[in-house]
Amino acid sequence: MTEEVKAATEVVMGTQFWVATAIFILVYGLIVTEKIHKTILAIVGAATMIILRIVTQEDAFHNIELGVDWNVIFLLISMMIIINIMKPTGVFEYIAIKSAKIAKGKPFAIMAIFSTVTAVVSAFLDNVTTVLLIAPVTMLICQALELDVVPFLLTEAIASNIGGTATLIGDPPNIMIASKAQLDFMAFIYHLTPVIIICLIVYVITLKFVFGRKLKVKDELRQRIMEMNEKEAIKDPVLLRKSLVVLAITIGGFIFHGMLHFEPATIALAGAGLLLLVSGIKEPHHILAEAEWATLFFFIGLFIIIGGVVKVGLIKWMSIKVLEITQGNLFGTSMIIMWFSAFASAFIDNIPYVATMNPLIIDMAKQLWPNVTGIELLHHPDLMPIWWSLALGACLGGNGTAIGASANVVVCGMAEKMGSPISFKRWMLYGMPLMIQSVIITTIYVWLRYYVLKI
Amino acid sequence: MKAEDLMIPVQDYLKPEQTLKEAVNLLKTAKKGEERVGAKGLPVLDEAGKLVGMLSMRDILKAVHPTYMDIMNLGKFTWDGMLEEAAKKIADKKVYTLMSKDVITVKEESPLMDAVDNMIKNNIKRLPVVDNNGKVTGMIYERDLFFAIVKSMLNENIGGEK
Repeated sequence: MTEEVKAATEVVMGTQFWVATAIFILVYGLIVTEKIHKTILAIVGAATMIILRIVTQEDAFHNIELGVDWNVIFLLISMMIIINIMKPTGVFEYIAIKSAKIAKGKPFAIMAIFSTVTAVVSAFLDNVTTVLLIAPVTMLICQALELDVVPFLLTEAIASNIGGTATLIGDPPNIMIASKAQLDFMAFIYHLTPVIIICLIVYVITLKFVFGRKLKVKDELRQRIMEMNEKEAIKDPVLLRKSLVVLAITIGGFIFHGMLHFEPATIALAGAGLLLLVSGIKEPHHILAEAEWATLFFFIGLFIIIGGVVKVGLIKWMSIKVLEITQGNLFGTSMIIMWFSAFASAFIDNIPYVATMNPLIIDMAKQLWPNVTGIELLHHPDLMPIWWSLALGACLGGNGTAIGASANVVVCGMAEKMGSPISFKRWMLYGMPLMIQSVIITTIYVWLRYYVLKI
Repeated sequence: MKAEDLMIPVQDYLKPEQTLKEAVNLLKTAKKGEERVGAKGLPVLDEAGKLVGMLSMRDILKAVHPTYMDIMNLGKFTWDGMLEEAAKKIADKKVYTLMSKDVITVKEESPLMDAVDNMIKNNIKRLPVVDNNGKVTGMIYERDLFFAIVKSMLNENIGGEK
């Protein structure tokens, strides 16, 4: 017993430790500078970890603790396949045009409905895809109404980051946390969705105060919106019907995957396979090629780099330091993790951040409860609020700056191409207060639910 | 037959600093051979006469076409007057902001197959012909290549006459 505790708190800082730490710092540092593409850095860093024998290839490719988390990779690939098949059906154009008509072309109503639709779609599709689908229609609507498109794009990107936090499949940090902590889809629905709904309602009310009065359009311009026929958006009604059925089955599968003892990636892969089969696509090459391989290889590389620093004990050392700061106060730990994650994710990519935090939290749990192992350790009642704090902080934090989340970067890129660039300052002016607002809401939620009411 | 035998000498060209309004006027009335019938595209030359780009009718169409419509199928949701509005907005833009910058050229002594290869691979219909100093001396058009092919097919003498 005493030996176990000793072993758990000691880290040997040998050559391997420093080499792995140097690779880790170098890769993360270079990612921040954006001089070299992050995916290239991740691949080079991962290869270096293996070449210098920090991790073996066996570890990197086949050990989920020290290498690639294929659950995450296959969940992402499968969802990308499903979306790529659905995109050409025109369903997303249909939803957006229909929303604008429901809003009767009134600008604030459009902003509120578009934000809500973006948040809901983001909960099931990844955030970048969602904004790529909603932004072009937003630009068209704004041009028709002769409105400045920037507030609309900005509010949609923020809504997509809020909505993505709600489910296991909504945002990559959640996918990673779910896999590491072995949490199922319904756990996210039960623990995160309620507070995200509150965040979204408060968000839309806030938008009313910020933009409500400024947005005005002439009645004759609204006529342009009312004359659009959303039904013309549907290019392939047969494929659309098939896609919607398969999507419904897939989401049903997610809801029951915990009960059925299937990993989320299994459900997603089955959904993607089924849709490829029934879609009647003869040559799957372009559907598969359109998956975001750069993102996927970024994940693959990161997992191996993190495996290296986990193996040499850097992550364990960091977890000891965190426990020293919080002195075992678990409420304090979860608050620090939530707020630190929020501000960290506002400035750095939340994917490498969460990839690092996951093993750190597990190492921390090992030291707190040395006699507990496996699923009982991962789902220790006192550990659960910490997982939720990490998910909430890392996902919502992305709203703080223009570079905080991939959706923000995509939206800024599109706005610039349109000739109305969004400056870093302008984003922060709106994004930072809105981010802080949502993290305050989630702070109250976590405190009340897990530390006061304990439900 | 070489490129220089088929090319039509350049008489009109655009400058990068010209506005689109000036450019379209020239496009409309440019000389092709002896006639002023307009051109579908013209080379853009800098002060030193160096080729810096091409501006074609398609570039003008692209200029009024909003970038967001490249990403999604939104053509059905446009309105009467949208094109006209966009046209007014781009009138004062400079040629260099809209021209195609990576211009594919052929040399005067290039075989005609080289010109055909370039047109097919890059999906273009006209090619500037440059001399050894990189100066544009003429243009080769898809139509003229077609006539060269027709002549060969029908065994006509294509040696000297145009």
